[in-house]
Amino acid sequence: MFDRYRSGWQGVCLVAITYVYFLIFAQFAFLSRIASLGIAGSHLKAVMAAMAIGGILFSLLTPRLKLLPSPDFRIRIGFGTCATAAFLTLLPLGIIACMAVSLLTGAGLGLLTVTLVTHLRQWAGDRHPLLNVGVGTGIGYFVCNFPPLFTASPEVQSFTAGLLCVAGIGVTLSRLTTRSEQRTAEEGLDQDGRAEKLPSGAKAQVNLKPSMYGLKPVPFTAATYPQRTFPFIRVLVSFTALVWLDSAAFFIIQNTPELKAGTWEGPIHLWVNGLLHLVAALASVWFLSRRGLSTVLCAAFVALGAACLLLLDPSRASAASVFYPVGVSLYSVALVAYPSLIAPASSVAERGRQAGWIYAIAGWCGSAMGIGMGQNLGYVPPVFVIGAGVAVLLPWVFVLFRQRRREALLVAGTLIGAFILERVLVVGPGSTQVSQIARGRQVYISEGCINCHSQYVRPNSPDVLLWGPVKSMAEVRLERPPLIGNRRQGPDLSEVGGRRSALWLKAHFYDPPEVSGASIMPSYAFLFRDRRGDDLVAYLESLHGPGTEEHQVAERLWHPAFSAMAKADVSEGEHLFRLYCATCHSADGRTRQVWKPGFKRLPPDLALGPFFYLPPSGPVAQRMDHLAEITKFGIPGTDMPGHEYLSDKDIASMSLWLSQLATQPDRKQ
Amino acid sequence: MGESMSPQPTDAVPRPLQNPACVANAAWHSLLWLVLANSIGVLIAILLLFPALNRGLGEWTYGRWIITHMNLELYGWSSLPMAGFLFVVYGADRGLAARWCRPVLWVWSAALGVGTLSWLSGNSSGKLFLDWTGYARVCFPLAMLVLWVLLTASFAKQWNDPVNNSLLVRGGKVIGLALLMFVPAAIFIASSPNLYPPVNPDTGGPTGASQLESTLAIVAILLMLPFGLTTRKMGQARKVTATWVIFAAECLLCIALGRSDVSHHRPAQYLSLASLLVWMPLTPYYYAAFQWRPDTRRWRYAFLCWWSALLLTGWIFFLPGVLDHFKFTDGLVGHSLLAMAGFLSALLIFVMVQLLGEGSWIFNRTWSFYLWNASVVAYVMLMSIAGWREGFDPTFSIAPGMARSVIYVLRLLVGVFMLAASLEWFIASRELLRESSPVPESLPLELEKTA
Repeated sequence: MFDRYRSGWQGVCLVAITYVYFLIFAQFAFLSRIASLGIAGSHLKAVMAAMAIGGILFSLLTPRLKLLPSPDFRIRIGFGTCATAAFLTLLPLGIIACMAVSLLTGAGLGLLTVTLVTHLRQWAGDRHPLLNVGVGTGIGYFVCNFPPLFTASPEVQSFTAGLLCVAGIGVTLSRLTTRSEQRTAEEGLDQDGRAEKLPSGAKAQVNLKPSMYGLKPVPFTAATYPQRTFPFIRVLVSFTALVWLDSAAFFIIQNTPELKAGTWEGPIHLWVNGLLHLVAALASVWFLSRRGLSTVLCAAFVALGAACLLLLDPSRASAASVFYPVGVSLYSVALVAYPSLIAPASSVAERGRQAGWIYAIAGWCGSAMGIGMGQNLGYVPPVFVIGAGVAVLLPWVFVLFRQRRREALLVAGTLIGAFILERVLVVGPGSTQVSQIARGRQVYISEGCINCHSQYVRPNSPDVLLWGPVKSMAEVRLERPPLIGNRRQGPDLSEVGGRRSALWLKAHFYDPPEVSGASIMPSYAFLFRDRRGDDLVAYLESLHGPGTEEHQVAERLWHPAFSAMAKADVSEGEHLFRLYCATCHSADGRTRQVWKPGFKRLPPDLALGPFFYLPPSGPVAQRMDHLAEITKFGIPGTDMPGHEYLSDKDIASMSLWLSQLATQPDRKQ
Repeated sequence: MGESMSPQPTDAVPRPLQNPACVANAAWHSLLWLVLANSIGVLIAILLLFPALNRGLGEWTYGRWIITHMNLELYGWSSLPMAGFLFVVYGADRGLAARWCRPVLWVWSAALGVGTLSWLSGNSSGKLFLDWTGYARVCFPLAMLVLWVLLTASFAKQWNDPVNNSLLVRGGKVIGLALLMFVPAAIFIASSPNLYPPVNPDTGGPTGASQLESTLAIVAILLMLPFGLTTRKMGQARKVTATWVIFAAECLLCIALGRSDVSHHRPAQYLSLASLLVWMPLTPYYYAAFQWRPDTRRWRYAFLCWWSALLLTGWIFFLPGVLDHFKFTDGLVGHSLLAMAGFLSALLIFVMVQLLGEGSWIFNRTWSFYLWNASVVAYVMLMSIAGWREGFDPTFSIAPGMARSVIYVLRLLVGVFMLAASLEWFIASRELLRESSPVPESLPLELEKTA
């Protein structure tokens, strides 16, 4: 029993070490190291080509090599070659030496990976081999994202990778075969008692030295896992597309500081990435055992495709950082499990050849193409994502169609019918006929502003002073449709054009919390990448009725309640000033700095003045009153906004603080 | 009237489903959308607590998710169980028509998928709950029309079936089909920006007459449902008839009120709305006249309790002074949740429990029942507290402080609980689908009848 578990752990270790070596050294440290050696441009391409040649060559040759029939021995040579390459990179290499090391790395990896998956069953145990592959893959990715290793120097990473390969040799040396394994191996039977079809030479060797050659017969068949009989070529194409997307995305993130910052910089990002990899690897095991290979490939494509599309926009890098590791780990488990455990193969040799083709074409060529795309384009074109989607999803769609023909036809028929009907029924006005304000109104609707902002001032209610004046029902009904809304998580906007300047609106859309204290409104900076932002500002600016001037008279008559004035707290006033005003009214205020050229008149530094809108002299109470009015309703015709929604006490506290600041200029912040 | 519309009174248990997979599929689809909509609800609650996360969502910001959340709850979760109900009423779950139930449900779900992409891409009509525009505005009504075609075809095929032997049953079903035929067109037309219902000039919200009208539509559905779900008990005809007479009287009152922009301060508005309170005792009284499966008891009581709470609070919230205080606050958000997650969800589950028969276990696990209902109660209370505070001080919502953040955290927690309960039902519905016998591919109705 113990041996069975231990043999499973060997598989976990070998898969994990192989992945760590490939990811942290071959994809990462080696590139950094040769960059530090000053190798770039065409020389860099030559070095990388050497690795690809080595990898492809040995992936294809390994199953055909007759020299080293023992898998244990082969895998030790593979690990040894990889370790040697990793240690050699610590030396000050020239271009030729780099190419040689690169070739060695590729060759070692080709030998190692193909040998590992061809004979994985003997190391992955016979209890939960698929789970062991998933755990090994997950641990491999998790270790690579372990912050001290990820952020270590290339030398440390190379040395670690080399040491791990040495440890891999140790793992294979520690292998002991259980009695049952020996028995089945000697008899050449699988778990069901069927003779495994092996090449005659190999079978003879099994019978002679089973423990040495480790050609343990298959303890389960490919049919153990749910799968549909997809042609091998389809699986190969799917893996190639996924590796291509993965490599392209990786290269683009790695070489775009903005994207890198949003995806895998900082320990929190790395820990999260590591955990996502681990969880996705285990999810992949679950999907493979329950839903089959096609589900995993489709899910991996959806995740990787989404990541590639999200990477087109740096502001979405954090969302991409979730999809990318999930997609990568989903297919990485399958990349090991398919040739070793799932693919139907009549013999070990056939399994090896399949593994060779997968790693040569999907692994090495797909990777090279992806990196090339990243280098030359700097992004993954959406058309390519669609193409990859066709490659991966088409077989699945085809099977689904065969099983659910009625559903597919009815859905397709309805969607097509709706498309035709829409062309016939809905005739919208041409975009050229629509004014900027109308376009802005559509942006307001599209973004769901109505869910947080009303456009309705209730007559005879406190609304009138805060958001007024009131509109007549006829005016409301002129709108198509009226945007009354049903919720206020932000101010009413029916008269916002009379209360806020275009500059304020724009600055607010860029960074609401900066401009409006603790605002929970999201940033709409993305609207300004095209004309939508300016359209929306134009629409909001247009929102004011004929009663604005009359309303401003009512605002001037407003005073904070006496009780509020009595409760005014100067320290609270200072806090509110910093929250709402300092961004414009202190010398280093962010809004003031960012939007400096846009102000109609630069807001005064309230520690210094001058105060154009305050009476030069007069009693303190009158001055406070005036400050309170400005704070509450702003200054019409300028960029100074009001803070209508603040309570009288807050306004009184702010005006108290401001009045003291204005009379005691030594109280600078 | 009740006597004439009801099937023959009998003590027999409700007739068995011909193919439980049809209703099980409807349950699965509706629960799928419930889980998705609830997940979006949780996302929204998270975004309220951590607005900076919006940056990671690109253009799919808070406002677009809110639209999607509301529409999926309404057109997914709240609508698809009624498709299952209609399958049974019109016999689409029997014979050859049963093969088309699942495809029709997929068409509905596909149309909702189109809608989801449309809303997230920034296509909106600007009309809450009628948010269909562009391609989706055609696609969704067309999906409804596909359902109607299936119902009509199966009904036509079973025209001479013993179930439809009564002229009144046939007539009722024909009228039902005629009304259903107009629903897709009504959705398409009502989504137009050029149409807008009467407005209460003092709040900007619906008038009392509008609320009476929409509530009476729900009452009509509540009164019709038992005829499609079960049979009447012996000797209860008078009870049923009396209820329908009261309903007719209320309809006349609604017509008399007319449709115009009238304030809730008018006594005629809030007094006529008070007439709905009669349905608090009348609905349980009416439902007691029908035979129900014993395992519907829990959800039947739940929906009747929520219904009473909805009627009472709906009227109180409409009263002058109260509505003025709560309008545009979270108080009314809580009330909407009471309607959707409390009353409507309990009603739909009750309907599905009755329809699913042996498969009703998926909704009858104790923990998920209490988790869901207790979460709705907690949510409504939280929102009422927030709305009460907000009515005095708009800053409470616009510039959140500690108290508001605590409410947001609790709201998120409650949302997670509701998601957990719905997820449990969804997973169970998958098991039910596996258990249900597959839809027969070639079992003609005649063979089925002889069997």
